[in-house]
Amino acid sequence: MNCVLAEDNILHGTPLLRWVYELAGLFLPCWLSYFIAGFVIMFILVNAVLLGAAVFVWTERRLVGRLQNRVGPNRWGPFGMFQPIADLLKLIVKEDLIPQGADKIAFVAAPIIMVATAILMLAVVPFAKNTALADLNVGVLYVLAVTSLTSVAILMAGWSSNNRYALFGAARGVAVLISYEVPVVLCLLGVVIVAGSMSLADVVTAQAVPFILVQPLAMFVFVAGTSAELNRTPFDVAEAESELIAGYHIEYSGIKFGLIQAAEFGGVVTASAVIATLFLSGWAGPASNYIGWLWLLIKIGVVAFLFIWIRATFPRLRIDQIMAFAWKFLMPLSFINLMAVSLEVYFLRDSSGALTTTDLWIMTVINLVVFAVCIPLFGSLIRDKVRPAQLQPTARATPGATVQQAGGEVT
Amino acid sequence: MTGEQEFRGIESGPLFDRTWHIDRVEGAAVQGLKDTSVEPLSEPLIEVPDDLKGNLVVTSVDALVNWGRKSALWPVTFGLACCAFEMIATAMGRFDIARFGMEAFRASPRQADLMIIAGTVTWKMAPAIQRIHEQMAEPKWVISMGVCATSGGPYFGSYSVVPGVDHIIPVDVYVPGCPPRPDALLFGVMELHEKIKKYHNLRPGSRNVPGGTLAAENP
Amino acid sequence: MPFQALTGEALADRLAEAVPDSVERADGDCVWVEPSQIAITAQFLRDDPGLDFQFLNAISAVDFIDSFDVVYHLTSFRQQHKGVVKARLHGRESLSLPSVYEVWRGADLQEREVWDLMGIRFEGHPNMKRIMLWEGFDGHPLRKDYL
Repeated sequence: MNCVLAEDNILHGTPLLRWVYELAGLFLPCWLSYFIAGFVIMFILVNAVLLGAAVFVWTERRLVGRLQNRVGPNRWGPFGMFQPIADLLKLIVKEDLIPQGADKIAFVAAPIIMVATAILMLAVVPFAKNTALADLNVGVLYVLAVTSLTSVAILMAGWSSNNRYALFGAARGVAVLISYEVPVVLCLLGVVIVAGSMSLADVVTAQAVPFILVQPLAMFVFVAGTSAELNRTPFDVAEAESELIAGYHIEYSGIKFGLIQAAEFGGVVTASAVIATLFLSGWAGPASNYIGWLWLLIKIGVVAFLFIWIRATFPRLRIDQIMAFAWKFLMPLSFINLMAVSLEVYFLRDSSGALTTTDLWIMTVINLVVFAVCIPLFGSLIRDKVRPAQLQPTARATPGATVQQAGGEVT
Repeated sequence: MTGEQEFRGIESGPLFDRTWHIDRVEGAAVQGLKDTSVEPLSEPLIEVPDDLKGNLVVTSVDALVNWGRKSALWPVTFGLACCAFEMIATAMGRFDIARFGMEAFRASPRQADLMIIAGTVTWKMAPAIQRIHEQMAEPKWVISMGVCATSGGPYFGSYSVVPGVDHIIPVDVYVPGCPPRPDALLFGVMELHEKIKKYHNLRPGSRNVPGGTLAAENP
Repeated sequence: MPFQALTGEALADRLAEAVPDSVERADGDCVWVEPSQIAITAQFLRDDPGLDFQFLNAISAVDFIDSFDVVYHLTSFRQQHKGVVKARLHGRESLSLPSVYEVWRGADLQEREVWDLMGIRFEGHPNMKRIMLWEGFDGHPLRKDYL
């Protein structure tokens, strides 16, 4: 029996699923082979993200060690490579506590949702030409929708733990997530305007010039905003050890905590993949018809290194500084980027609405100038807002006179 | 006015009235702990039962699990006195406890495996230490760092210092010194690694014994 | 810049004029103040523009078997000088002294510590209870007759 995916099926544009579906359909009923094709894709996704998380954990610990003039894990396995395996093994066999008074369903569901969001984000990223696991025509929207699920999971974790520190951490985390969602979305709008499509595959093909050059402002805001949405160090008030013990995951132990960590680090990998696709032209590169996946991996590595570097460099900000950074710094920048890109596209596009490579280079020059002007300008504007008020210098008499005065003369 | 205030003849403000009850309950708890903790708890020792010796599958799984546990021994962020500075120095660049995968100092005791008692344990602090130890998820280990935590040290016999933290929680490894150098703490950690390697994990009923897997089996 | 240490006599001269009957005696290092007058004296020491002791370094107590000294170390950052004021309490039981909490808020924990370890009570302190040891502890351990 032969199974053929209908043309109007939303997954028709996904070659991997179609091949598996048609292959399995040779000797299985169609509905079963459809499931098998779906499971194959899920299997690849889950393992890719979890393996990526493990590799990223090792890289981060070694690299942060080097950046802090330390050695980092180097005992278990060559270069300490088995460290994430040992961590995982220990977390699996560790006692799994559910506190008395916790909302059990939400408590158990929260880490699973976190991991799911991290995994789902990777589904629409094209690994090479025509090789996205699910080539959705609304890919960018899908990425945003999945990312914002994280805030639900964080709130679930914090609320169900029956612990006030967890609730504080969750409230902070959700506040940060919702605030940073706005500039990030506005940046993606600029990308979509230039690419003319919401599908990530089309975004990659539209990048004759990588969008990091066409829209440096958007790249900057997106990396900063994603760093905050991933709860990484300059913005990790949600789990600030010195204030909130461990934030929303304070009551999690064992494999549930392991899942939260996997979601955190896997989230960095998937976010790096999305950034590489949106701004660094994804799988495109020399010989990209054959080694597109290698180009994507290299670009993911570069972005992940950037995240690690940011984490190792910056100290934690206060919550008001983080909010000021989002609303007073990133927001105006993303608006400026959106306005500039819209105007440029309006004037440069041809009659059919397409942009040539020359147009992109013109936009690059203009936007680089805008970038060079806006960052110092808004930086100087926000600098006074986030600093604590200066202490007033106290009036103080000259020491010579006072000693004489205090020496016993009664006035 | 509470009875205690009348007894002491102090006219005091609302702050006193608000907090007095809490203080009295806390004081009763501390005094009760001091009165009951007169004998040191036994050290959790390792014993291999005969019926499991030579069981290839179980020992292989044990070896794997023990390797995982010893390789990812996350300490709880916890320092009491001067030894804590040596513990911090152990985590810094020169000695770098991260080589053993231990730089993940967890602030939440739920996620930690190892408790380094770094410094003098006073009776007023003892209930807090006991509670943190109880909050840690099994399996958990304790290193007593420095002579103060081990035996009271220079404060042995003092009215306010616990004569060894093993009076309130079971201790796996004692590290001498006042304070121990980071090298000594690292040596203690490696001794703990050797100890963890000998654990048997899959024996029925061994899970609920406090203070390591085999505390109650020690003859 | 070193702080100039005021002699006890200099302090005593100032105090004798401002607060009558407050000075017991004075020597080159410090001045002994009548215990019942300590709060008023402290108010004067802080508010007088010539002395201007805005900062209380420490309150401590010394056990002399038949008497106790409560010692106040004071510093003026504006006038760049420092001074020592003491109050002598006789006897060993039910000792008390007016609190200087209203003058220097920093005295809060220090007075509680003196009460905890030496057993000298401070009248007018809003929260006079033990700070280092636990409630229900028997005795005051830094006294010389403890153990």
